Parts: sequence; C-alpha cells; structure tokens
Amino acid sequence: MHRGSSRWSASGCAATAPDLSAARSPVAASVRAARAVALLGIAAVFALPLLAALPLALAEAASLAAWRELLNDTRLPGALGLSVFSASLSTLLALALALWLATGLMGSRHWPRLAARLGPMLALPHAAFAIGLAWLVAPAGWLTRLLAPLTGWDAPPPWVTVNDPQALTLSLVLVLKELPFLLWNIVALFARDEVAQSLRRQIAGARTLGYTPRSWWWRVGWTGWLPRLAWPLLAVFAYGLTVVDVALIIGPGSPPTLAVMAYAALTDASVERNAVGAAAAVLLTLLLAALSGAAWLAAKALARLWRRRALRGDRPGVTRATGRVVLPLFGAVTAVYATVALALLVLSVAGVWRFPAWLPQVLSLEAWQQVRGSASTVFFTAALALAAAASALVLCVAWLESAPLGWDRRVTPLVLLPLVLPQLLLMVGVYRGALSLGLDGTRAGLFWAHLLMCLPYVFIALAPAWRSFDHRLAWTALSLGRGRWAFWWRVKWPLLAAPLASALAIGIAVSVAQYLSTQFLSGGRLPTVTTEAVTLASGGQRTVAAAFAVLQALIPLLAFAGAHAVARRLHHNRQP
Amino acid sequence: MSLNFDKVSLSLNGRVLVPPFSAVVAPGEVLAVMGASGSGKSSLLAWMAGLLAPPLQASGGLSLDGRDLLPLPTEQRRVGLLFQDDLLYPHMSVLDNLLFALPAGPYAQRSALADQALARAGLSGFGDRRPDSLSGGQRARVSLLRALLAGPRAIGLDEPFSKLDVNLRQQMREFVWAELRANQVCGVLVTHDQADVPPGARVVELPALGTAVDLA
Repeated sequence: MHRGSSRWSASGCAATAPDLSAARSPVAASVRAARAVALLGIAAVFALPLLAALPLALAEAASLAAWRELLNDTRLPGALGLSVFSASLSTLLALALALWLATGLMGSRHWPRLAARLGPMLALPHAAFAIGLAWLVAPAGWLTRLLAPLTGWDAPPPWVTVNDPQALTLSLVLVLKELPFLLWNIVALFARDEVAQSLRRQIAGARTLGYTPRSWWWRVGWTGWLPRLAWPLLAVFAYGLTVVDVALIIGPGSPPTLAVMAYAALTDASVERNAVGAAAAVLLTLLLAALSGAAWLAAKALARLWRRRALRGDRPGVTRATGRVVLPLFGAVTAVYATVALALLVLSVAGVWRFPAWLPQVLSLEAWQQVRGSASTVFFTAALALAAAASALVLCVAWLESAPLGWDRRVTPLVLLPLVLPQLLLMVGVYRGALSLGLDGTRAGLFWAHLLMCLPYVFIALAPAWRSFDHRLAWTALSLGRGRWAFWWRVKWPLLAAPLASALAIGIAVSVAQYLSTQFLSGGRLPTVTTEAVTLASGGQRTVAAAFAVLQALIPLLAFAGAHAVARRLHHNRQP
Repeated sequence: MSLNFDKVSLSLNGRVLVPPFSAVVAPGEVLAVMGASGSGKSSLLAWMAGLLAPPLQASGGLSLDGRDLLPLPTEQRRVGLLFQDDLLYPHMSVLDNLLFALPAGPYAQRSALADQALARAGLSGFGDRRPDSLSGGQRARVSLLRALLAGPRAIGLDEPFSKLDVNLRQQMREFVWAELRANQVCGVLVTHDQADVPPGARVVELPALGTAVDLA
C-alpha cells in the first residue's frame, strides 16, 4: 500500500517542476538577502516557538506528584473513555459518510454543488454550531416543540440530550462539523485537472471491465486514495479527542471529557493543579499517538482482509439506489446547518418563548443590546483575526516565494504540527513561552498565538496554487526584460489573487474560532466573541450566547463572501 | 458471431466527424479506423463502449453476437477498451490487477488463469511486482491481459502502441494480434500510423477535420 501509493500522490506535480527549477535564472544578491530575511522571519515567528513549546509543555508536566494526582483521580477512567469513544465514533462516522457521499455523487452534476456548499459550512465555527445544535436537540428545543402537537407534550420531556453523560450529542456535533472538512479534502484531492481526468479514465476503464463506478470505488478506488486522507483524518481525530470549547457547551459534565478535565486544571488558580492539567494534556497526546498508530495498523490489516473480498471478481448489478439515498443525505446535512443558523438568529431575539410554541411569543433585543455594550469585543475579534490572518498570509507568501523549490514539501510535517498536536499541549507550552517573554495577557501575545494557529491553514490553502503556478510565465516576463517586481505585480499577483483571498478568509475563520489559545494567552482579560459565546453558553445564558455565536459565524462568512467576490470579479474580467 | 457496425456516423454540433460506414468484424479479426488526431476516432471507441458524452452524437446501429449493444450500459456490453495509458492500479500488485478483471470463481482457478496469462506475455513471476516497477512495454502487456481476462467479446484499441518505444512496437503489435486471435475477440483499432494496421485487416479511413462535410 505504501510503495504503490507514490503515483497516486501529489508527486505528479513535482514531476513537472524539477526541469523548471533547475533552469532558474541566476539570482541577484538583493533577492538572496530578501530570501534570507524571509526564511529567518518565518523561523523566528513560527518554527522556533512551535518547537520550543513542546519541551516547555513537557517540563510543566514533569512532576511526579501531578501524575500521581491525575492517575488517582476517580474521574479519570470515565473521562478517558468518553474522550476515546466520542473521538473514535465521530471520526469513523464522518469518514464513512464522506466516502459514501463522494462515491455516490462524484462525477455527477451534484458534485460541484456539494463542493460549493462546503465553504459556508466550514466557515460556521464549531462553537457556534454547537450552541445552535444544542437548541435543536434540547428537551425544550425546536425538535421536541415540533413533535409536541403529535405527542401532546405540554412540558419539555425529561430527557438529557445536551451534556448527556454518554457524549452522544458531542459526537453528533463532531460528525456534522468534520464531514464538510473531510469532503472538502476529497474535493481538493481530485480538483487538479489532470487528476480528475485520470480518475474519469480509471472509472471508464473499470466500467469496460464490467464494474459499476460505485463498486470500483469501494473495491479499488478508495484503497488507493485513502492513504492520501491520512493527514486530514489525523487532524479530525486529534480535534475530536482534545476539543474543549464544544465539549464545554454540549459535552458531558461529570465526568467531563479528558480535555475538559485538563483544561479545568490548567486554568485553576493553584500551580499544583496546573501541573496536573499539563500532565493530562501530555496523557492526551500519548493517547492520540497510541490510538493513531493502532488505527494505522488496523487499517492495514483491514486492507489485507478486504483484498480477498474486493478481488473476487463478481460484478454487482447497476443500481440507482445509491443516488436516491445519498442525495437526500447531503440535503439533510445542509438542512441541519441551515436550521442551526436560523436557530441562532431566532434564539438571539427571543424574549418570552414558552414551551411548546414554535416561535417566541415576545421578541426582544436585550441580547443584542448586551452585545452592543461590548462592541469593543466584536471589533477586537475582527481586528485580531484580520491582523493574524494577514500576517500569516504575508509569511506564507514570503516563504513560498523565497524557499528553494521542494522545501515546502519537506517542511509540510512541521507546518501541519499545530493541526495534529493537541492544542491543549501546544498552548501550555506557548503560554509558558509567552510568560517568560512577558507577553501573557497582552495583545501581542494573543496575536502571536493566533498567528501560530492560522499559519498552517493559510499555508495549506495557498501552497497548491503556488505549486501549480506556471513558472514559464516568469521566464517570459524576465526574458521580455521586465524585472521581478514588475512580474509580481502585473502577472503573478493578479493570477493568484483568488487563492490569496480565500487563504486570507480561511485564516480569519481560524482566528475567530480560536478558544483555547485566546483563553490561555489573554488570561481571560481580552475576550473575543468566541470566548464570550462559549462562556455564556456553558453558563446557560442561551440568548446572549446565541447573539455572540451569530457574530462568531458572521465574521468568517463575510470574509468568505469577500474572497468569493474577488474570485468572481477576476473570473468575470477574464471572460472574452 | 461478430461485431456489426450498421451505417454508423458521428457528429459534433452538427459537423460530421465520422461519415456513415458499415462493417462486420469477425472474432479474432481487426477493423482499423485510420484518421488524423481530432478526427473523432477515439470518440468512435467511446461510443462503442457506451461512454460517449455530449455534445458528440452518434447514429447507426451496433450489435455484438446478435445482441443490440446500444440500449446496454457500459458495464454490460462486454466491450473492453485499451487506452494509450495502461491505467493499471498503482497501489495493487500485477496479480491483483489481473484478479480484479477476472470473472468470479474459485480463487485457485482464477490465480492460475492470471499466471498463465502472465506466462504468455513473458512475464512469469511478475505477479507480485507493482506496476511502477515494470517497464512501459511490460505495463502495456499487463494492461492488455487485464482487458482480455475480463472476458470481453470485442475490444477497442485506442492508439495502443503510440506511447511505446519504436523498437518495442512491433513486438507489442504481434502480441496483441495473437492474443485477440487466441481469445476470439473482435478488435477495433484506431490509429494514425499505417504500420499499426495488421496484415489483412479491413481499414476505414476518416476524413481530416478540415474537410469534414457540413450537415447543415
């Protein structure tokens, strides 16, 4: 599986690049100096802090007493079980649904429509989604109110749906939020023209062998492509295992998940409890490593078992059933997102809303007045997001422009580190570092933490566009006697404006959604709409939490709308 | 028992690419369709396999062993296709690539069939190798074996020799024609190279695109 995957991998675009890099024109000394500055800058702001954060976090957890206290905590087995259960269940379900949807819809006219819907789904932050979904499934929420006329309820049923001790609602939120992310990765996998074309020919070839596209995907296609989804899957699993904000809103309370337990200890006033929290964060990281390793081995063993089944040569008949199930399934997912957004809006203006009415009896702007009272928080959130995303963008562009060709591939594991490492562990270290530099509780420290978290996403969004950029355009410009800067402003910048804009939007969305890093680095003194929303929601203040959640969703949505407008305008300008 | 083209023609937005022709291809024989690139000859094979996409349009009849093929989906036509690219699955061994194509049956029997096929192609012992570790000529042969092991009654060959080294081509041509005869499969070859056409094959020449007749 390993050896053979090389041709399926992105090495296809590396194969077209080397002849170009070899022929790069001699570089002026000034360009080389600029290059060195860019590389050093990135190392100073991103790589070194990242690498320093780990030993700092481990040092914090290096206390025998802390480990003893953690291991003697009676809540630990339950918390551990809940974390593993919710993360595993949600990752497997999201993967199964994503593969099922992709198998059924890829190549059909519905696939581009699905791809277009993923952007807004991804832009809706986890916390906002959890707050909205909590209102849908709560005993007094929209679902029971919808059913009330049939069942005759005049009071909310005595169910525990939100903060349920089995963490099922938490798992549901994770499945629904990670599904678009995995689908987005699948779309990206087949987005390049030559990949899409080769895929079409593979499927056509399989059909002439007597297989339907669906059976080709399950028997041959996915076994070849799944290794390419390993990184996103690891990110999804790591997120589910270590998520704090969503678990605070909708997860179990006693015991909570291990991540919430760690977070509570880390934010405790006592230094001893902080060490216990750090130990719990390390335990989560070990758990993540062990479980990912086990999952990798299990996947390989399953692939061997699957081989017999996949290659036995029977040809399943042509059925239309998949299309009939898959399309409504994605429709349902879209509907959940739309309903969650609507729930947030209605909830934020709800004054009096007695059970089992479908809509509030009295509307009220009280929640929004409270939001207006903290308008500075909203502006601060937006400004912080813009600053962090723009800086990440500048750093990434500087890196992609200056790094020797091929280096971006080699640094990818380092860049992806913040995505697959538990954020808890990372933030323990980053906070320690900020403390020693006197940056804790300052805007500069917060900005830096957000930059650390934005940069990987911006890089992932940007790198493919840079890699596939046709270097011959640069040569023609240079050979026409135009300088590098003229080429950049007149040719490259306009051609890459759309990916730049969408990378900026992604960076903004990531920054706005930051909860842990904000709480740690600001010491609770610099609130954002996200920390406000989570705090209010976990405190049971639904309407104000909903209002903040609307804003939390609105800022990234505006950013994506802006990026979309840029792309459209460029597209329009290029039409003859 | 044959492949029958009955007044088949192909057009693109009203422009005729392939003017009407009729032909009968007996099992083991080859019909060669010659034309420059862009003349629609690849589309003819796609149509034969049931893979033609709009705006290309075809008219005429196609039957195989007396079955009308046109209402059938690609999966049920028993028409194989061989492309310029081998399209072998790179993450699977050569043997697994062949097993995927073989019809269902006892495993021992199927893997024996695959081994025999590899032996015919001079590739004994290559079953465990990955396609990436084979030469272009070897991959082309495996690709042909895979197409034939699925048991097609007809096969379309889309410039199957053009990507091979010149010195390999003649060898591959002889292998392909021998395999088609041995398996009694009706072959339709499209090519722009006269040297690809096997001796005694019927040839249909397509007009160059510039001289295509306007329907309107």
